[in-house]
Amino acid sequence: MDDHFRAFTFVDRITSVQPGVRIRGLYTIPPGLDDFPASLVAEAVGQLAAWSAMAALDFKVRPVAGLAGGVEFLSFVRPGQQLELAADLESAEADAVAYGGSASANGVPVIRLEHCVGPMMPLEDFDDPQVLRERFALLCTQGATPGSFGGVPTVALERSGSVAGLWTRATLQVPTTARFFADHFPRRPVFPGTLLMDANLRLAATLAAELPTANGLPWQLRAVSNVKLRAFTPPGETLELEARLSERDEKTARLIVEIRKGPRVVGGARVLLTTEART
Amino acid sequence: MSNANITKEEIQAIFPKVADTMADALACDLEKVTLEASLINDLGAESIDFLDIIFRLERAFKVKIPRGKIVEEARGELSEAEFEKGGIVSDAGLARLKIFLNEVPADRFTSPLKAAEIPRLFTVETFCKMVIRQQRAAASAPPA
Repeated sequence: MDDHFRAFTFVDRITSVQPGVRIRGLYTIPPGLDDFPASLVAEAVGQLAAWSAMAALDFKVRPVAGLAGGVEFLSFVRPGQQLELAADLESAEADAVAYGGSASANGVPVIRLEHCVGPMMPLEDFDDPQVLRERFALLCTQGATPGSFGGVPTVALERSGSVAGLWTRATLQVPTTARFFADHFPRRPVFPGTLLMDANLRLAATLAAELPTANGLPWQLRAVSNVKLRAFTPPGETLELEARLSERDEKTARLIVEIRKGPRVVGGARVLLTTEART
Repeated sequence: MSNANITKEEIQAIFPKVADTMADALACDLEKVTLEASLINDLGAESIDFLDIIFRLERAFKVKIPRGKIVEEARGELSEAEFEKGGIVSDAGLARLKIFLNEVPADRFTSPLKAAEIPRLFTVETFCKMVIRQQRAAASAPPA
């Protein structure tokens, strides 16, 4: 079965769009999934923004990876819920798209993104422009049939060193094959930045688990900022991930996460954890 | 757009905010962000960092910085063909570049210079000047 628009696609329907300005859409999390990580909700908002940007530029370029000034995690989502997605574009030009966005479920805010920037790349290097035009037309009319996403395999992290409560490192071996590569992207597979960030956040969580909290409640991810991906990660790449404590008080902990390929820092983010419960 | 009459005082006035912005974008120590520092060679910036910095400067100073037009501005009255041939900056182009990027120490202008390598010359002061030029352009524009 062709996994294009099935294996790593998170917009079922575009309900309104002004190309290059604003876009609204829907995505139903397949009910059969075990969970749907927050990083994939962020991916859904990014994909929605990408549709608006690509449409504004006649599907000649598309955003790939990039950076996010801030991502706030406001509540959890469950399989079966429908996400209401929104993106407002600050600019959509041939070299970059800048946008902010959000996702809600049943009117409850789930995630908020601000100051996101996606470098634009020639679309035909990654996908068939005509196929994307047709998909965009479908999404803007009757929409796609929900439920095609079957989840993504958890990419294992192999711990390579740590000092309890201060820092921890792990090796991430990007798979050589995976369904999502057929969708991200058909002509040039790239390990999705949101999955890379998800791996980083999992590593950050292991470090956080070593930090005592004043009220005994577990640390919860509240926000990430300064998210930046400097390079595309192809299948089979080996990356080193590091999470280190930056500062901490009774209710908040700030961590820095970094992704390295050899000596080069290819990505990173700042992570805010709190002991206040998310709904 | 000329930058010949941008004063040191104007640059110093915005430098602290530019430096803060760059240190945050590049996750580096503020002390490393000096006016003379090359973004690529000294601060380790890559192409995505340039985008990041420009968007941050736009927000910080409420100006619109024309990305991709920096080299065009540097070229001035020279045509593209006069400025570079086969990806190599011509002698006339190099002379023009030295005037436009007069904050860059002369020994950093290597010859032959690949056009794609021009961003390697950019210093923190280059970005200060970009902001000042856009502030001036905004101030002189008729109200919308």
